[in-house]
Amino acid sequence: METLVQSIVSGVLTGSLYAMIGVGLTIVFGVMRIINMAHGDMVMLGMYGAFWAHASWKMDPFLSIVLWVPAGFLGGLFIYRFLLRKIVPAGELNTLLYTAGLSLFVANLALLIWSGDYRTIKLPYAIMPLRPMGIAVPIPLAIAFGLAILVTAGLYWFLVHTDTGRAVRATSQEPEAAALMGISVGRISMITFGLGTALACGAGVLLAPSLYLYPTVGEILVAKCFVIVVLGGLGSVPGAIAGGLILGLAESLGAVYVSVPYKDAIGFVIFLLVLLFRPAGLLGGGKS
Amino acid sequence: MKTVFTVLALVALLIAPLIVTDPFYVHLMIMVLMWTVLGVAWNILGGYAGQVSFGHSAFLGVGAYSTMILYLNLGISPWYGIVLGGLVSALIALPIGLICFRLRGPYFALSTLAVAEIVRLVALNWESLTNGPVGLLITTLPPVSLWGEPLNWESKTPFYYIIALIAAGALGITFLLARSRLGAYLLAIREDIDSAEAIGINTVQARVSALALSAFVAGVGGGFYAMYLRYVDPDAVFSISLSVEMVFIAVVGGLTTVIGPFIGAVFLVTLGETFRTHFLWGHLVFYGLFMMVAIRYMPEGIWGRVRKLIGNRVGVQNG
Repeated sequence: METLVQSIVSGVLTGSLYAMIGVGLTIVFGVMRIINMAHGDMVMLGMYGAFWAHASWKMDPFLSIVLWVPAGFLGGLFIYRFLLRKIVPAGELNTLLYTAGLSLFVANLALLIWSGDYRTIKLPYAIMPLRPMGIAVPIPLAIAFGLAILVTAGLYWFLVHTDTGRAVRATSQEPEAAALMGISVGRISMITFGLGTALACGAGVLLAPSLYLYPTVGEILVAKCFVIVVLGGLGSVPGAIAGGLILGLAESLGAVYVSVPYKDAIGFVIFLLVLLFRPAGLLGGGKS
Repeated sequence: MKTVFTVLALVALLIAPLIVTDPFYVHLMIMVLMWTVLGVAWNILGGYAGQVSFGHSAFLGVGAYSTMILYLNLGISPWYGIVLGGLVSALIALPIGLICFRLRGPYFALSTLAVAEIVRLVALNWESLTNGPVGLLITTLPPVSLWGEPLNWESKTPFYYIIALIAAGALGITFLLARSRLGAYLLAIREDIDSAEAIGINTVQARVSALALSAFVAGVGGGFYAMYLRYVDPDAVFSISLSVEMVFIAVVGGLTTVIGPFIGAVFLVTLGETFRTHFLWGHLVFYGLFMMVAIRYMPEGIWGRVRKLIGNRVGVQNG
């Protein structure tokens, strides 16, 4: 029983971060039909941002989120404006290949600058886990969980209650109708890409104290991202949140009840099954 | 005209190691030819059939592991093992094709990525067969004599001729494919799969055949890779970045052209390997950069652009 509760708790903790990354990927897909292969590399940049803020400026890695989320937003605007804008009309496959190029470029630039050595952030308060009712909760993951909920809820609020957020959702549902209603689709696309990148960087910052850092970590993260957004239905924000939690739970329960070495494969198997039998996602909200 | 070029190219391929003796350049030529083979493999599916795969490292890896395991466990000489490795890859491709071809466009691409990751995890964890993360290592290759002379496996020249033969074969396969009925079906599928279906093409069969052929070529390339390095481990042959490299070589060189992958390999591999001699990390940085430039400014690739510019004069439309 305790094992079950323990794996559910750690599944939800990791799942919240997966959800945050997935939401970033899914809003970008919803508005622009871009499957962003470089999304994982944005997470990687966030991780290194937190690492360097800690190593050079003695800043708490979690605190550095106030720096890297706006930086990610600006970076996203820049990437969209100068790199992606002309590619988007060429279709989904071309943007897929283009962002794959961007991903390889960013990852290898990071390798060149920071080398492929593994790094970790050592926090004095992270040594002993919290033990409420005998369940081990690693402190960095607990903080990350809290902040991830805060950021994701903030984004949700933005999408539901602000004019710009409504415009984003309208563009995601029907770009042409949105344009006819006077929404500047180009501007909304740029903002959405900025938001997606900001979420990825923010998730990277939150993950940094709990994971090993190396420049190609984005490769595996982006693969997990696809699992998450396809689970929830591409383009659906609640779907991505659910997908993130499902993947987190599937991995932690799978590690206990199926097999540790194959825990990463479980996600991919679910992914294939969903793609084949429920292409609009488990919740049915996505676009296939 | 074209025959003259082909003969000249074959002669150049044959005498190249007599002129170039510096081991680095021989290694470079071997890598270029090996990536040509892998690019050709990807081009069959991604170019001719228009099915973008991000999981071709699965076929490379299966070929590499099969060749290695056949040699280590059953004592089958790699020179048959490389071909057998290709066949094992083609066999693995059949169920993968039947699953993934139910999906289209970007969804197909994502599903191949997932399949390749599953295959990698199996290779990582099936320790009795693959030796897990440690990988498999061979110290000696079986002695082979050619015209009474034993081949010297310590020199790179025999490897050069083997991969040159494989590359010429792979290019020949694309050349024939482009002129075959299957090739025509694939082009029709690439242009509009629904119309292809409507005029009676069995698109599943055609796509699965293209995938199997593509996997065979990738598997043969993988088998050679294993023998050349004398070493395989899951990260060396199953990583996502290998799949991505194959995509980039084919796209930058020129999709749906016979020698595009060769041009792409000459260009990118030379850049990458030269970069590697100067810097320890990040030799793929130019792959990413040129991929972005190619998609933005010449989606038809280097050879596609060249063909467009000179095509009408020299008459190499189909080359």
